[in-house]
Order: sequence, then structure tokens, then C-alpha cells
Amino acid sequence: MVRGALFKKSLRDMRKSKAQFISIFVMATLAVTIMTGLDSIWFTVQNNADIMYNATNLSDLWVTVQNPSEQDLWAISKIDGVIQVEKRFSTEADTNLSGNATLHVYALNDRSTLDQPEIQEGRFNKSGAVLDNSFAKAHNLKVGDTISIKLNGVWLKLPINGLAISSEQVSVVKNSATLIPDPNTYGFIVIPIGTLDSIYGQKIYNQISVKTAPDTDLNEVVQKADSIIGDKLIGITLQKDSLSVSNVNGRIQQFKILSLVFPILFFIVTALITQSTMVRLVESQRTQIGILKSLGYNKGSILWHYTSYGVMIGVLGSVAGLILGPNLFGRILVPQLQLTLSSYRLHINYWNFAFALLLILLCTGGVSFYACWQLQKDTPASLLRDKPPKKGEHVFLESIPSIWDKIKFSNKLIVRNTLKNKKRLIMSIIGVMGCVGVIIAALTVRSTIVGITDQVYGDTFTYDQKILIDPKKADSRYLKNLGLNGITQLIQESAVEVIYPNGEQKMEPITITTIDSPLIHMKDVEGNPISLPENGILMTRKLCKTLGIDKGDSIQIKRTGEDYVPVQIVQVAYMASGQGIYAADSYWKSLGEKFSPTALLIQWNGPPDQRFLQSDAVTDWATRESQHLGLSSSMGVINFAVAALIIMGASLAFVVLYNTGILNFVERIRDLSTLRVLGFHNREIRNLVLVENYFSILIGTISGIPVGRFISWLIASSLDERMDLLGNITLSNVLIATAMTICFAWITNSIIARKMKQLEMLEALKSVE
Amino acid sequence: MDFITFENVEREYHIGNTIIKAVDRISFTLSKGTFNVVLGQSGAGKTTVLNMLGGMDSCTAGRIIVNDKEISGMSEYELTEYRRTQIGFVFQFYNLVPNLTALENVQLAEEIAPDPLDAREMLQRVGLEKRMNNFPSQLSGGEQQRVSIARALAKNPQIVLCDEPTGALDSETGRMVLRLIRDVSNDLDKTVIIVTHNVPISEMAQTVLHMRDGKIAKTEFHKFPKNVEEIIW
Repeated sequence: MVRGALFKKSLRDMRKSKAQFISIFVMATLAVTIMTGLDSIWFTVQNNADIMYNATNLSDLWVTVQNPSEQDLWAISKIDGVIQVEKRFSTEADTNLSGNATLHVYALNDRSTLDQPEIQEGRFNKSGAVLDNSFAKAHNLKVGDTISIKLNGVWLKLPINGLAISSEQVSVVKNSATLIPDPNTYGFIVIPIGTLDSIYGQKIYNQISVKTAPDTDLNEVVQKADSIIGDKLIGITLQKDSLSVSNVNGRIQQFKILSLVFPILFFIVTALITQSTMVRLVESQRTQIGILKSLGYNKGSILWHYTSYGVMIGVLGSVAGLILGPNLFGRILVPQLQLTLSSYRLHINYWNFAFALLLILLCTGGVSFYACWQLQKDTPASLLRDKPPKKGEHVFLESIPSIWDKIKFSNKLIVRNTLKNKKRLIMSIIGVMGCVGVIIAALTVRSTIVGITDQVYGDTFTYDQKILIDPKKADSRYLKNLGLNGITQLIQESAVEVIYPNGEQKMEPITITTIDSPLIHMKDVEGNPISLPENGILMTRKLCKTLGIDKGDSIQIKRTGEDYVPVQIVQVAYMASGQGIYAADSYWKSLGEKFSPTALLIQWNGPPDQRFLQSDAVTDWATRESQHLGLSSSMGVINFAVAALIIMGASLAFVVLYNTGILNFVERIRDLSTLRVLGFHNREIRNLVLVENYFSILIGTISGIPVGRFISWLIASSLDERMDLLGNITLSNVLIATAMTICFAWITNSIIARKMKQLEMLEALKSVE
Repeated sequence: MDFITFENVEREYHIGNTIIKAVDRISFTLSKGTFNVVLGQSGAGKTTVLNMLGGMDSCTAGRIIVNDKEISGMSEYELTEYRRTQIGFVFQFYNLVPNLTALENVQLAEEIAPDPLDAREMLQRVGLEKRMNNFPSQLSGGEQQRVSIARALAKNPQIVLCDEPTGALDSETGRMVLRLIRDVSNDLDKTVIIVTHNVPISEMAQTVLHMRDGKIAKTEFHKFPKNVEEIIW
């Protein structure tokens, strides 16, 4: 690596300033850990998902159509780019199991090859079913057991021949009443299409799965398929828009953003610490450089010698970070993300590794190189000569004698010294700023999520139960005349095809309800209560933002079996959870559509009406409390993340303050010893060093608040696309973060103070270095 | 009248398993307002004597009494107070605070001492009234040492301790500095102790302690000490 003697010298030098070099190492490790760790999360998810999609031959789009004909199939298969088409039957069914368990049923042809279940145990054959692996685990079902599902009102008993997972069920929730995947209540089952004969009296299909060649223009395929199927078309879903795939992609996107933004702070701090350490080291070895030069070492080897300090630490730090990051984050966190993948095997993004390594080498080696670049230009003779005393400089403040003359000498010293080492000051300010910012963000994200669940299930929704009903058995008139004892509100939750002003075509969730909305209380972005518009639609803020549209814009909505009709966005509402379009039933009807409620919200005046709940019209129900709990149960992961963030912030503050404190002390050891000899007490000397730290703590804390705001906003907006978290920071969180930072700073300062007590004043005075 | 008394003072250093006696049971007394030199080769123990007298180091045996107070056995805090009020230091390498101007370096003494002398006046005395607002880096070695003398005396201490004050200066500047130390401390009635290996300087002193191997080999008294100009360097 380096010539023997110089290498030994560098090891000894590092041992001499071990605190500094350990700090650089810790920061470099943290930076690389965070960068590669966050990166490995999305990379692992993406790769494992892709492997699974490929293995199960997941379709690129699905055309939902009632009873497709052979001609339909044939015509679609002839569209440019389409390589395979198949029909299947896809629906939801109740089970004979406890707890309202529902299964998504996929009925496949015998020779089908698209959208296959990935068998974990047993096999898939003509006579039986393949059941969702996690659903089976949750219900203690094994291969060889039987399960009954209810289709078209008829119970169908099926032997379980295998357990599997599905590419279409990596991350899905049962319905709008559930918020996080729960294998107790929802799963899927794959059956041979033939088993349905007995129920429907014939082979029944409702979906065409389409596989296209890579790089096919899917929009064109969609348009052509649309014109082929014509009026019978119910909808076309692209793979990326399908529930599970879009959820998974959302997750991937979140972590991509986080892995790009979050590590920046740590790289900056690594560079700053390296800079201050190496400048001091090189300065203190001025004469040694002169000696090396006069001995005949050339420019290159001296430059490399000092650069190698940074390179060594950088390499060590990145090795540690590359081991820690992917293992801590990728290996441990990915299985916690509630995604059902065939494998959670860690996938290594070597490009990201290389990029992290390059960045960290720039921050350590590059900075070290720059630090000694200046000195090596001098001639050996001038280097060997004693360096003139450090220059004192007049500062701006002196030009105002009325202030300057009143300042005590010790404060003058602090002011001059601080202003002379601006880089160090900036470094410690950034460190404290980062610490405050990260802690504020951690607390804010936590309290936002707690607050959101409280807000959503406290302020926005005030029902006791959300009862999902079967629109075929209960229309709105039936429901209105039930005479239930309580306040009720009917809602229809479905999806509509929408064309946005930019031409983008998407399926969006839509909720239709009455203008008089006693159990859903909507608010605009400022928090004022609003109601559904009479002559247009309401859209949630987050959806508007993602699409880049606003109040007053018009979008096109596709009516059932007809063409598009323009509608105006009259209101924009802030909804923390439940993004989509909201419309009044009267307006919906004026578009020529029907209002067929899918759920009944109710606030009971007495005990819940069990007779109604058990009736045929009711398919499922959930209480507001259970929904609330469902959201809160994901708090475990949040708490873990909060703790991790706080530790990161604390180490940032600690490393930076410790370094500035120690450097401030070591660089001035002669001055401080002189003062000590002149009769300054320990306390007074300590202040000379630490006031600078107090100052950066003050500035850092204040400037950390907007940083915290930014990070909070960043995390909040990338956390979950179904949620609109504002990430507003609260005073109490700022105060807690400030208190914690001051606490860390105080600990650091007392460690420095203890170091300073060991100051050997005589040693320092003996000679000029 | 004994102003400074050393009684069987001993200083041991433990370096690994070996014990080094830097100062080995020495006794001497010095009177108030005198000009004294501790003379010896390097390693003779003279700096240790100065350090113990200055409250920067403590003895391992014996007693040190200054101005009727025993300073051996004082606590860390008391020693600092002692240095602050009683002692002025002049160092071989000046040890000015680089971030403070000449004037501020002297004012620094003003700030910590209970009964200081005027900083500007002290700088005038050492002939630096025109360089008061310069930083140490803008001053020559001799000028820096003059600032350092002004700083030591501005505290208005009882004792001025000088460790090789001319060690880093050429002979002409050295003479000037010595004259200054002598004149100013004479005017202000200070007790001066200079530590040096430079034999001719001792001819200026009223008392000369010759040190060798941690012991006082010889004590010399000059009734009529020489002037700086008379010394052959």
C-alpha cells in the first residue's frame, strides 16, 4: 500500500489522534450503512417481486368482461405485441371459517400458464384447490384439509391440495374497511375452472389475462382491446395499476427517495470531520513533511501518504457500512414490510455499493488529499523553518468600538477564535442541525401517524360500524327503509376510469354518498368543514397533488357503458387516509349513473341490530375501534424507526461536537496552558473552549427546526401513498428534540471537559512544536 | 526577612519503574525585592524549582513558604489563585495568545488579577506604545518578549519568574530584555527569579543558586551586582 516506514508512521499517527479517526470511521460507516441499507430495501423488494412475477408468469394486463367469446380472445391475441391470452374467472367468496374470512377466487383453465400460483407445498391439480399459504397458516389449515367457499349462494367444498403464494396478492387488503393486510380475514384460493360447472351449470369466465412482449406500447393494446370488446367491457387493468403491484411499487418508490436524500447529511459531516482532522494533522507535521522531502521522498508519495489516511478510514468505514447496511436494513426489515413474497433473499445492488464507496472515498480520501495539497507545494527548506506564530485577525466586530471595548477579554478570544475557524463552526452547526432535524422528524412522523389514526377515526369518521352490503340484495331504498335505530349514511365505494387533463388514463377510487353527510366530516386544506359539491366532484389533496391538478380543473369520467363526460373539481379536501374522488349521489345520478351503495355507516343509538348484521344483505362489517387498532398495530415498526433515527441523530451530534471540542482544545493547547499558568481556573479555561460549542448548539438547534420540518415532510409524503400526512411539526416535538439534543451536547461537553482536566500545562509549555 | 523559603524540598518523578529525583532535598531563602538567578545545566533541576515556586508543580517532600504562606500542600484551586495573584511569568517562547493583540494580551492579566496595573502604561514602559494593536505574529521576538514582560508585571505580582527569558533572542535583544526585567521590577519592588544556563547573566544577580544533579552545589551572594552593560556575553 505505502512504503513500509510511512505506513507505520500513518498507523501511529492515527493511534495518536484516535478519537478523531474513530469519529471519521463512525460517520463513514453510518453514511454507507444508511445509504446502502435503505437502497437494499427497495432493491431486494423489487428483485424478489420481479423474480416472483416472472416465475408465476404474471400478465401485463387484464381485460374484465362478462363471458368473453372465443372471437374476443382471438382478436385480442392478434393485437400487436400480445404474445399470449387466456381467460379465467376471478371473484371474491365467503368461507366457512370464523371471523368473516373472505377469499379471492381465481379459477384457471387446466392448461393455463399465466398468473400461476407459486406452490409452496403440495400441488395444483384438477380435483382440488390451492390455498393462500399465510391464510392457511392463520387458520391452521394443512394440505389434505378441506375448505368451503360460497359462490353464487352455493357452498362448494374443496380439498386443499396445495399451499401457495400469488403475484397478485403480495400486498393487498380485503376491502376499504381494512387498512393493513391481515391473513386472518383475507386470502386467495386457486381452483380449476371445472369445479365451477356444478354451480353455474357451465364454464364461466369474466377476465382475459394478456401477456405482451417486452417494450409493447400498452396504451395501444388497451385502446385496441377496448374497441374489440365494445359494450361488454367492464374494465382494463394494467399490471402496474393492479392492487398488489401498485402497492409494492409504492413501497419501492418510498425507499428509493429515502435512500437518496437521507444519507446526504452523513456524507457531508464525514467530509467536514475529515477536513478538520487532516488539516490539523498536516499542519502539525509541517516539519516532518520537510524532513521527508529533504530525505528525498517525492511529491507523489507524500501526497499519497496523507491521502492514504482518509482512504484507509474510508475503505474501513465502507466495508463496515456495506456489511451492516444491507444486513440490518435489507435482511431484517424487508420481511417486516408485510409483503408476501416467495423469497426475502437479500439482493445486492452493486452499483449502489460502488456509488457509496466512491462517495465516501471522496469525502475521506479526496478531502485528505486536498488538505495536504497546500503544504506539499512549499520547499523543504521553508517547511523545516519554524512556522511563524498563527496570525491573529481583526474581526468585523472591532470596528464598532462601543461594543468591542465592553466585551471581556475572554469573550474577545472566543469571538476571534470562532471566526477564525469558520469551517469547524459550520461543521458543528451542521451536526447539531442534523441531530435536531432528524429527531424532530422522528418524533413528528410518530405523532403524525398516531394523530392521523386519531383524526381519521375520531374526527373524520364518526360511525360505530361500517357495514359492507351486497348491492344485489339491498338497494338504497331497501336500506333506507330498514328502520335501524341510529344515524345512518349510505356510501358507494368503487372505481372509475378517469382521463386527466394531461391525457393520463387511470382507474381511481370513488366514493359516492349523500350531500348531507352525518358520519363523514370532510375538511378543506385549511381545516374548515366542507360538504360535497352539488355540481361537481370533490378530490383529495394528495391525489390532486400527485396528478398536478387543482380546484377548478376538469377531468373526464367514464360512465358505465358510455363514453367520457367532463366533470369539474369543485372542492379539494384534506383526507389523511382514503385518497380518491368523492361525489354527491344527486350529482352522480345527474351524470346518468346509478347510486348503488356498497356500505352502510351507522352510529347506533342502542346495541347493534344483530338480526340485520346476520342478514343476507350484509357481507362484512368492521367497527371503527378495530379499524383504529389496525392502524395503530403498525406502530411497532414505527417505534423501531423512531429509535433508529434518534440514535442516528445522537451519534451525529456527539461525533461532531466531540470533534470540534477536542480540536479546539488540542489546537490551542499552548495558549490554554499559558492561560492556566497565568492563573486561569479550570472553569474559565473550559468556557473558552466550550462556549464555541454552546454557540453552535444554539444556532444548530434553531436552524435544525426547518430541517426537521423538511425531513418530516419528506418522510411523511413518501411513507404511504394511501395516506396524506402533512408532517407538521408541533411545538412539543421541537421542545423534546431540543431537550434531547442539549442533553447529548451536555454529555459530550462533560466528556471533553474531563479530557481537558488532564491538561498537562508544563508539557505544553516546554517547547514550540 | 525571608520572603521565599525552601525547606528540604524534594521532587520525585516516576517514569515506569525508575524514580528520578529532579530536586533532592534543597533548602534556601530569598528576600523580598531581590534579583536572583538559578543557574545550571539542562537536567540540573532548575526548572523544577521554578515550577514548584510558581505553583505549577508540587513537591513530594519538604515545605515551600512564600510570603508567610505554605504553598506546598495547597489544593489545585488554591494554587491557581496563588498563580493568579502572586506570580508573573515570563517564558522562553513568550507564549502570547496569538488571537489577542499586544494590548489585549496585557489586559488579560488585568482581567484576572485583583490589583492590576494599567495595561497601556505597562506597554509604554517596555517601549511598545506604538505596537499596542498589533497581533503577536506582527511583532519580532524581542517585541513579543517585551509584551510578555508587560503582561507578567501588569498583574502586579509579588514574584516574577522567568524561564530562560533570553533563550530565543540574540544577545543585543537579550540584554535589552534583561535590563527591562531588572529596571521595571526594581521600580515596582518585585522579587525576580531567573532560571538560565547562561553563566554571565548570573553576574547581574544578588543571589545565585548553582544547581547540579537536583542539589544546590553553591550559593553565591553579590553585594554589588553588575549592570547589564558590564556583562560580557
